[in-house]
Amino acid sequence: MRGGALPPALLCLGLGMLLAYAPRRLIAPALGLASMLALGVFAVGVPAAWEEIVFAGCWISVVVTSLSLHFPRAPGQLRVLAFAANTGVWVGAVVAVAGRPLDLLFALPCTLVFVPAIILLGTPARLGVKIVASWLAAVAILAGTLPILPTTGYEPDHMQ
Amino acid sequence: MTPNRSGQSPWWAACILLALSLMPTVAQAHDGTGLVGGFISGFLHPLNGPDHMLAMVAVGLWGAILGRPLVVALPIVFPIMMAVGGAMGIVGVPVPPVELGIGLSVVVLGGVIAFSIKPADWLAIAIVAGFAVFHGYAHGQELPSAADPVGYSVGFVLSTGLLHLIGIAIGFMALRRGGLRLVRGLGGLISLAGVWFLFKAVTG
Repeated sequence: MRGGALPPALLCLGLGMLLAYAPRRLIAPALGLASMLALGVFAVGVPAAWEEIVFAGCWISVVVTSLSLHFPRAPGQLRVLAFAANTGVWVGAVVAVAGRPLDLLFALPCTLVFVPAIILLGTPARLGVKIVASWLAAVAILAGTLPILPTTGYEPDHMQ
Repeated sequence: MTPNRSGQSPWWAACILLALSLMPTVAQAHDGTGLVGGFISGFLHPLNGPDHMLAMVAVGLWGAILGRPLVVALPIVFPIMMAVGGAMGIVGVPVPPVELGIGLSVVVLGGVIAFSIKPADWLAIAIVAGFAVFHGYAHGQELPSAADPVGYSVGFVLSTGLLHLIGIAIGFMALRRGGLRLVRGLGGLISLAGVWFLFKAVTG
Protein backbone atom coordinates (compact mmCIF):
# COMPACT_ATOMS: atom_id res chain seq x y z
CA MET A 1 0.00 0.00 0.00
CA ARG A 2 1.55 3.32 -1.07
CA GLY A 3 -1.34 5.68 -0.45
CA GLY A 4 -3.03 6.57 -3.71
CA ALA A 5 -4.52 9.80 -2.37
CA LEU A 6 -2.04 10.91 0.25
CA PRO A 7 1.05 11.61 -1.91
CA PRO A 8 -0.89 13.92 -4.28
CA ALA A 9 -2.64 15.47 -1.29
CA LEU A 10 0.73 16.33 0.27
CA LEU A 11 1.88 17.81 -3.05
CA CYS A 12 -1.27 19.92 -3.17
CA LEU A 13 -0.61 21.07 0.40
CA GLY A 14 2.86 22.17 -0.68
CA LEU A 15 1.44 24.12 -3.62
CA GLY A 16 -1.21 25.66 -1.38
CA MET A 17 1.42 26.91 1.05
CA LEU A 18 3.48 28.29 -1.83
CA LEU A 19 0.41 30.15 -3.09
CA ALA A 20 0.10 31.85 0.28
CA TYR A 21 3.33 33.71 -0.57
CA ALA A 22 2.31 34.42 -4.18
CA PRO A 23 0.62 37.59 -5.44
CA ARG A 24 -3.15 37.23 -4.94
CA ARG A 25 -3.92 37.65 -8.66
CA LEU A 26 -1.96 34.46 -9.42
CA ILE A 27 -3.79 32.17 -7.01
CA ALA A 28 -6.89 31.47 -9.13
CA PRO A 29 -4.95 30.87 -12.40
CA ALA A 30 -2.51 28.61 -10.57
CA LEU A 31 -5.31 26.56 -8.99
CA GLY A 32 -7.10 26.36 -12.35
CA LEU A 33 -3.94 25.24 -14.14
CA ALA A 34 -3.12 22.60 -11.53
CA SER A 35 -6.68 21.22 -11.53
CA MET A 36 -6.94 21.17 -15.34
CA LEU A 37 -3.64 19.39 -15.78
CA ALA A 38 -4.45 16.90 -13.00
CA LEU A 39 -7.77 16.02 -14.63
CA GLY A 40 -6.17 15.94 -18.09
CA VAL A 41 -3.33 13.61 -17.12
CA PHE A 42 -5.76 11.42 -15.16
CA ALA A 43 -8.07 11.22 -18.20
CA VAL A 44 -5.24 10.38 -20.61
CA GLY A 45 -3.83 7.80 -18.17
CA VAL A 46 -0.33 6.65 -17.39
CA PRO A 47 1.17 3.22 -18.18
CA ALA A 48 1.27 1.02 -15.09
CA ALA A 49 4.96 0.34 -15.76
CA TRP A 50 5.71 3.98 -14.91
CA GLU A 51 4.51 3.62 -11.31
CA GLU A 52 7.94 3.93 -9.69
CA ILE A 53 8.85 6.97 -11.79
CA VAL A 54 5.50 8.61 -11.09
CA PHE A 55 5.81 8.19 -7.32
CA ALA A 56 9.42 9.35 -7.37
CA GLY A 57 8.39 12.42 -9.39
CA CYS A 58 5.59 13.17 -6.95
CA TRP A 59 7.84 12.92 -3.88
CA ILE A 60 10.61 14.96 -5.48
CA SER A 61 8.01 17.59 -6.37
CA VAL A 62 6.80 17.70 -2.76
CA VAL A 63 10.38 18.28 -1.57
CA VAL A 64 11.15 20.97 -4.17
CA THR A 65 7.80 22.74 -3.77
CA SER A 66 8.07 22.75 0.02
CA LEU A 67 11.66 23.93 0.06
CA SER A 68 10.90 26.66 -2.48
CA LEU A 69 9.01 28.44 0.30
CA HIS A 70 12.35 29.16 1.91
CA PHE A 71 13.59 31.28 -1.02
CA PRO A 72 14.12 34.80 0.27
CA ARG A 73 12.15 36.36 -2.60
CA ALA A 74 8.40 35.95 -2.97
CA PRO A 75 7.46 33.68 -5.89
CA GLY A 76 6.80 35.46 -9.18
CA GLN A 77 4.39 34.62 -11.98
CA LEU A 78 6.65 32.15 -13.77
CA ARG A 79 7.57 30.25 -10.61
CA VAL A 80 3.99 30.01 -9.37
CA LEU A 81 2.61 28.77 -12.68
CA ALA A 82 5.51 26.36 -13.16
CA PHE A 83 4.94 24.82 -9.72
CA ALA A 84 1.18 24.70 -10.34
CA ALA A 85 1.69 22.91 -13.67
CA ASN A 86 4.17 20.52 -12.09
CA THR A 87 1.73 19.77 -9.27
CA GLY A 88 -1.13 19.14 -11.69
CA VAL A 89 0.89 16.72 -13.79
CA TRP A 90 2.14 14.61 -10.89
CA VAL A 91 -1.18 14.61 -9.03
CA GLY A 92 -2.96 13.40 -12.15
CA ALA A 93 -0.25 10.83 -12.85
CA VAL A 94 -0.21 9.34 -9.33
CA VAL A 95 -3.98 9.05 -9.17
CA ALA A 96 -4.06 7.57 -12.70
CA VAL A 97 -1.45 4.95 -11.92
CA ALA A 98 -2.33 4.02 -8.32
CA GLY A 99 -5.52 5.72 -7.25
CA ARG A 100 -9.22 6.13 -7.85
CA PRO A 101 -11.08 9.13 -9.33
CA LEU A 102 -12.26 10.02 -5.83
CA ASP A 103 -8.64 10.53 -4.80
CA LEU A 104 -8.55 13.65 -6.99
CA LEU A 105 -11.50 15.01 -5.02
CA PHE A 106 -9.51 14.42 -1.86
CA ALA A 107 -6.16 15.74 -3.10
CA LEU A 108 -7.01 18.86 -5.11
CA PRO A 109 -8.96 20.66 -2.34
CA CYS A 110 -5.81 20.43 -0.21
CA THR A 111 -4.49 23.39 -2.25
CA LEU A 112 -7.06 25.46 -0.34
CA VAL A 113 -4.65 25.36 2.59
CA PHE A 114 -3.50 28.70 1.16
CA VAL A 115 -6.45 30.32 2.98
CA PRO A 116 -5.37 29.43 6.55
CA ALA A 117 -1.74 29.92 5.50
CA ILE A 118 -2.46 33.51 4.38
CA ILE A 119 -4.26 34.13 7.67
CA LEU A 120 -1.30 32.70 9.58
CA LEU A 121 1.11 34.88 7.60
CA GLY A 122 -0.67 37.90 9.06
CA THR A 123 0.07 36.81 12.62
CA PRO A 124 3.26 36.63 14.72
CA ALA A 125 3.22 32.85 14.10
CA ARG A 126 3.78 33.38 10.36
CA LEU A 127 6.98 31.34 10.30
CA GLY A 128 4.87 28.33 11.25
CA VAL A 129 4.02 28.00 7.55
CA LYS A 130 7.68 27.45 6.73
CA ILE A 131 8.08 24.98 9.59
CA VAL A 132 5.12 22.94 8.35
CA ALA A 133 6.55 23.11 4.81
CA SER A 134 9.80 21.64 6.10
CA TRP A 135 7.81 18.83 7.71
CA LEU A 136 6.25 18.15 4.31
CA ALA A 137 9.70 17.94 2.74
CA ALA A 138 10.86 15.55 5.47
CA VAL A 139 7.80 13.33 4.99
CA ALA A 140 8.44 13.25 1.25
CA ILE A 141 12.11 12.32 1.69
CA LEU A 142 11.17 9.46 4.03
CA ALA A 143 8.17 8.22 2.10
CA GLY A 144 10.06 8.45 -1.17
CA THR A 145 12.92 6.38 0.19
CA LEU A 146 10.91 3.71 1.98
CA PRO A 147 10.22 1.67 -1.17
CA ILE A 148 13.99 1.04 -1.33
CA LEU A 149 13.64 -1.04 1.85
CA PRO A 150 14.51 -4.67 1.28
CA THR A 151 11.34 -5.58 3.21
CA THR A 152 8.03 -5.07 1.47
CA GLY A 153 6.86 -2.08 3.45
CA TYR A 154 4.76 -0.63 0.68
CA GLU A 155 3.28 -3.85 -0.61
CA PRO A 156 0.04 -5.32 0.70
CA ASP A 157 0.53 -8.22 3.05
CA HIS A 158 -1.90 -11.11 3.43
CA MET A 159 -4.18 -9.01 5.67
CA GLN A 160 -4.83 -6.40 2.96
CA MET B 1 -22.23 -33.10 37.88
CA THR B 2 -20.03 -35.96 38.88
CA PRO B 3 -16.52 -35.22 40.02
CA ASN B 4 -13.75 -36.34 37.66
CA ARG B 5 -10.86 -38.57 38.61
CA SER B 6 -8.87 -35.76 40.20
CA GLY B 7 -11.79 -35.01 42.48
CA GLN B 8 -12.70 -31.65 40.89
CA SER B 9 -16.07 -30.94 39.36
CA PRO B 10 -16.00 -30.41 35.55
CA TRP B 11 -18.34 -27.48 36.36
CA TRP B 12 -15.25 -25.47 37.32
CA ALA B 13 -13.55 -26.32 34.06
CA ALA B 14 -16.65 -25.17 32.18
CA CYS B 15 -16.59 -21.85 34.11
CA ILE B 16 -12.94 -21.31 33.30
CA LEU B 17 -13.54 -22.07 29.63
CA LEU B 18 -16.47 -19.66 29.58
CA ALA B 19 -14.39 -16.94 31.27
CA LEU B 20 -11.56 -17.43 28.80
CA SER B 21 -13.97 -17.27 25.89
CA LEU B 22 -15.20 -13.89 27.18
CA MET B 23 -11.65 -12.54 27.11
CA PRO B 24 -10.64 -12.93 23.47
CA THR B 25 -7.12 -11.87 22.62
CA VAL B 26 -6.99 -9.84 19.44
CA ALA B 27 -4.17 -10.87 17.10
CA GLN B 28 -1.29 -8.41 17.51
CA ALA B 29 0.81 -9.48 14.55
CA HIS B 30 -0.40 -6.74 12.25
CA ASP B 31 -0.15 -3.76 14.48
CA GLY B 32 0.73 -0.75 12.39
CA THR B 33 -0.79 -1.97 9.15
CA GLY B 34 -2.75 0.42 6.97
CA LEU B 35 -2.75 4.20 6.76
CA VAL B 36 -4.02 4.85 10.29
CA GLY B 37 -1.86 2.08 11.76
CA GLY B 38 1.13 3.46 9.92
CA PHE B 39 0.46 6.97 11.19
CA ILE B 40 0.06 5.87 14.81
CA SER B 41 3.09 3.63 14.57
CA GLY B 42 5.18 6.47 13.12
CA PHE B 43 3.84 9.00 15.60
CA LEU B 44 4.71 6.83 18.60
CA HIS B 45 8.12 5.80 17.31
CA PRO B 46 10.10 8.92 18.39
CA LEU B 47 8.29 8.88 21.76
CA ASN B 48 9.47 5.37 22.59
CA GLY B 49 13.14 6.29 23.01
CA PRO B 50 14.04 8.77 25.77
CA ASP B 51 17.32 9.62 24.00
CA HIS B 52 15.54 10.72 20.83
CA MET B 53 12.81 12.47 22.73
CA LEU B 54 15.21 14.47 24.92
CA ALA B 55 17.34 15.49 21.93
CA MET B 56 14.31 16.80 20.04
CA VAL B 57 12.97 18.73 23.01
CA ALA B 58 16.49 20.07 23.55
CA VAL B 59 16.58 21.41 19.99
CA GLY B 60 13.42 23.40 20.75
CA LEU B 61 14.75 24.61 24.11
CA TRP B 62 18.02 25.76 22.53
CA GLY B 63 16.09 27.50 19.78
CA ALA B 64 14.09 29.39 22.42
CA ILE B 65 17.32 30.58 24.04
CA LEU B 66 18.88 31.56 20.70
CA GLY B 67 15.82 33.46 19.47
CA ARG B 68 15.28 34.47 15.86
CA PRO B 69 16.16 33.30 13.27
CA LEU B 70 17.40 30.07 14.84
CA VAL B 71 14.23 29.38 16.81
CA VAL B 72 12.63 28.79 13.40
CA ALA B 73 15.67 27.56 11.49
CA LEU B 74 16.50 24.71 13.87
CA PRO B 75 13.04 23.06 13.75
CA ILE B 76 13.16 23.44 9.96
CA VAL B 77 16.62 21.93 9.58
CA PHE B 78 16.21 19.05 12.05
CA PRO B 79 13.31 17.17 10.37
CA ILE B 80 14.78 17.58 6.89
CA MET B 81 18.24 16.36 7.93
CA MET B 82 16.64 13.62 10.03
CA ALA B 83 14.78 12.46 6.93
CA VAL B 84 18.04 12.52 4.98
CA GLY B 85 19.62 10.44 7.77
CA GLY B 86 16.60 8.12 7.65
CA ALA B 87 17.11 7.66 3.93
CA MET B 88 20.79 6.91 4.57
CA GLY B 89 19.75 4.33 7.18
CA ILE B 90 17.30 2.70 4.80
CA VAL B 91 19.84 2.49 2.02
CA GLY B 92 22.53 1.37 4.48
CA VAL B 93 25.12 4.11 3.95
CA PRO B 94 27.91 3.46 6.47
CA VAL B 95 28.20 6.08 9.23
CA PRO B 96 30.13 6.21 12.53
CA PRO B 97 28.50 4.32 15.45
CA VAL B 98 24.98 5.71 15.57
CA GLU B 99 24.29 5.11 19.28
CA LEU B 100 27.42 7.08 20.18
CA GLY B 101 26.27 9.93 17.94
CA ILE B 102 22.83 9.93 19.54
CA GLY B 103 24.22 9.84 23.08
CA LEU B 104 26.67 12.60 22.18
CA SER B 105 23.86 14.69 20.71
CA VAL B 106 21.94 14.60 24.00
CA VAL B 107 25.10 15.53 25.94
CA VAL B 108 26.00 18.40 23.60
CA LEU B 109 22.48 19.78 23.12
CA GLY B 110 21.86 19.64 26.86
CA GLY B 111 25.27 21.21 27.46
CA VAL B 112 24.76 24.18 25.13
CA ILE B 113 21.46 24.88 26.91
CA ALA B 114 22.99 24.48 30.35
CA PHE B 115 25.79 26.92 29.53
CA SER B 116 23.49 29.10 27.41
CA ILE B 117 25.95 28.95 24.53
CA LYS B 118 25.06 31.16 21.57
CA PRO B 119 27.27 30.27 18.61
CA ALA B 120 27.13 31.75 15.11
CA ASP B 121 23.95 30.88 13.24
CA TRP B 122 25.72 28.60 10.75
CA LEU B 123 27.44 26.70 13.55
CA ALA B 124 24.22 26.10 15.48
CA ILE B 125 22.55 24.87 12.29
CA ALA B 126 25.52 22.63 11.49
CA ILE B 127 25.48 21.11 15.01
CA VAL B 128 21.76 20.36 14.88
CA ALA B 129 21.92 19.12 11.27
CA GLY B 130 24.80 16.77 12.06
CA PHE B 131 23.06 15.23 15.05
CA ALA B 132 19.75 15.01 13.16
CA VAL B 133 21.42 12.70 10.64
CA PHE B 134 22.32 10.26 13.46
CA HIS B 135 18.78 10.29 14.86
CA GLY B 136 17.28 9.80 11.41
CA TYR B 137 19.74 7.05 10.59
CA ALA B 138 18.74 5.06 13.67
CA HIS B 139 15.05 5.44 12.84
CA GLY B 140 15.66 4.58 9.20
CA GLN B 141 17.21 1.27 10.22
CA GLU B 142 14.25 0.47 12.48
CA LEU B 143 11.42 1.28 10.08
CA PRO B 144 8.84 -1.48 10.19
CA SER B 145 7.85 -3.23 7.04
CA ALA B 146 4.17 -3.63 7.94
CA ALA B 147 3.39 0.04 8.40
CA ASP B 148 2.01 2.11 5.58
CA PRO B 149 5.07 4.16 4.57
CA VAL B 150 3.27 7.42 3.88
CA GLY B 151 1.19 7.32 7.04
CA TYR B 152 4.25 6.22 9.01
CA SER B 153 6.35 9.09 7.63
CA VAL B 154 3.65 11.68 8.34
CA GLY B 155 3.24 10.45 11.92
CA PHE B 156 6.98 10.22 12.49
CA VAL B 157 7.76 13.73 11.22
CA LEU B 158 4.73 15.27 12.93
CA SER B 159 5.70 13.73 16.26
CA THR B 160 9.28 14.98 15.88
CA GLY B 161 8.10 18.47 14.95
CA LEU B 162 5.72 18.60 17.89
CA LEU B 163 8.54 17.64 20.26
CA HIS B 164 10.50 20.64 18.94
CA LEU B 165 7.49 22.87 19.45
CA ILE B 166 7.06 21.55 23.00
CA GLY B 167 10.71 22.42 23.66
CA ILE B 168 10.23 25.91 22.21
CA ALA B 169 7.03 26.43 24.22
CA ILE B 170 8.68 25.34 27.48
CA GLY B 171 11.65 27.59 26.70
CA PHE B 172 9.56 30.64 25.84
CA MET B 173 7.26 30.23 28.83
CA ALA B 174 10.19 29.88 31.18
CA LEU B 175 12.20 32.75 29.64
CA ARG B 176 9.23 35.13 29.74
CA ARG B 177 9.07 34.70 33.48
CA GLY B 178 12.78 35.23 33.85
CA GLY B 179 13.35 31.53 34.13
CA LEU B 180 16.65 31.25 32.27
CA ARG B 181 18.01 29.34 35.24
CA LEU B 182 15.17 26.85 34.94
CA VAL B 183 15.87 26.33 31.23
CA ARG B 184 19.58 25.99 31.90
CA GLY B 185 18.81 23.53 34.69
CA LEU B 186 16.70 21.48 32.28
CA GLY B 187 19.62 21.56 29.85
CA GLY B 188 21.90 20.28 32.58
CA LEU B 189 19.54 17.40 33.36
CA ILE B 190 19.27 16.56 29.66
CA SER B 191 23.05 16.59 29.38
CA LEU B 192 23.38 14.29 32.40
CA ALA B 193 20.88 11.91 30.83
CA GLY B 194 23.00 12.08 27.69
CA VAL B 195 26.07 11.04 29.68
CA TRP B 196 24.13 7.98 30.81
CA PHE B 197 23.08 7.17 27.21
CA LEU B 198 26.67 7.64 26.10
CA PHE B 199 27.91 5.37 28.89
CA LYS B 200 25.41 2.70 27.87
CA ALA B 201 26.43 3.04 24.22
CA VAL B 202 30.12 2.71 25.05
CA THR B 203 29.73 -0.23 27.45
CA GLY B 204 27.31 -1.92 25.05
